[in-house]
Amino acid sequence: MSKKKVTLKILALLIASDILETAIHFFFKKSVLAESSFQVTNVSSAALFIKTAFSSPYLWAGLFVVVCVFIVWSTILSKIDLSVAVPIASFSYILVPLVSIIFLHEQISLLRWAGIIFILFGVALVSLSSKERIA
Amino acid sequence: MQTPLFLILFLIALTSLCDTINQLFLKSTIDSLNFQPTFNILKILKFIWRLVRIPRLWIGFIFSVISLCIWLFVLSKSDLNFAFSADSMHYIFIALASGLILKEHISRLRLVGTLVIVLGIILVSL
Repeated sequence: MSKKKVTLKILALLIASDILETAIHFFFKKSVLAESSFQVTNVSSAALFIKTAFSSPYLWAGLFVVVCVFIVWSTILSKIDLSVAVPIASFSYILVPLVSIIFLHEQISLLRWAGIIFILFGVALVSLSSKERIA
Repeated sequence: MQTPLFLILFLIALTSLCDTINQLFLKSTIDSLNFQPTFNILKILKFIWRLVRIPRLWIGFIFSVISLCIWLFVLSKSDLNFAFSADSMHYIFIALASGLILKEHISRLRLVGTLVIVLGIILVSL
């Protein structure tokens, strides 16, 4: 089943999905930022950890964005092939580290950037192979 | 107290595993319905309605909730950029599960891509 090529509208949706995907993980990270020294040793402390996380509005914002991404992603996949969509959408592997540096003040070594590029490249290869299978 | 790196990586592997199990349940549930792709919204909604009434789907959903809980714990203990990059190991589990459980054909290109991801995760973890 061949689908139409990437139009400007699809590209906009793909970029939106990248940004939303990044937002999910940013929100999830924010929701547990205050819990970094929280010790989980047994079931009740684990339950308390989860309860505290779920009481953060960031977590619910993240879950809301999960639903948004699902809708955007379903729209994208109804228009173009997965093998084309995934490599473009994998831009979040770059976006998340950038957001981590800018908003969370994390530090990323050169070696880690190299690893990120490898992952990005690998994801592109894996998704291109789905095209191979269909063709 | 710093949480050891191997524990973080183990937990990320655990969330990836839960995600993969969820995907397998989802895939097998969808396959059992024999759905033909359509742009008809009404047909899609009908399909989703049939889907959510199959218990197997909810078993998958439970695994995705477990995955979220472990993921939140991982995020509380490690940098976002590290956790997010390392989470790409679900590609490895998906490839293994597709080949071993669903008996799908894994092409050479996919194998190479998966190995490149493994290499990337190792570099990110160093």
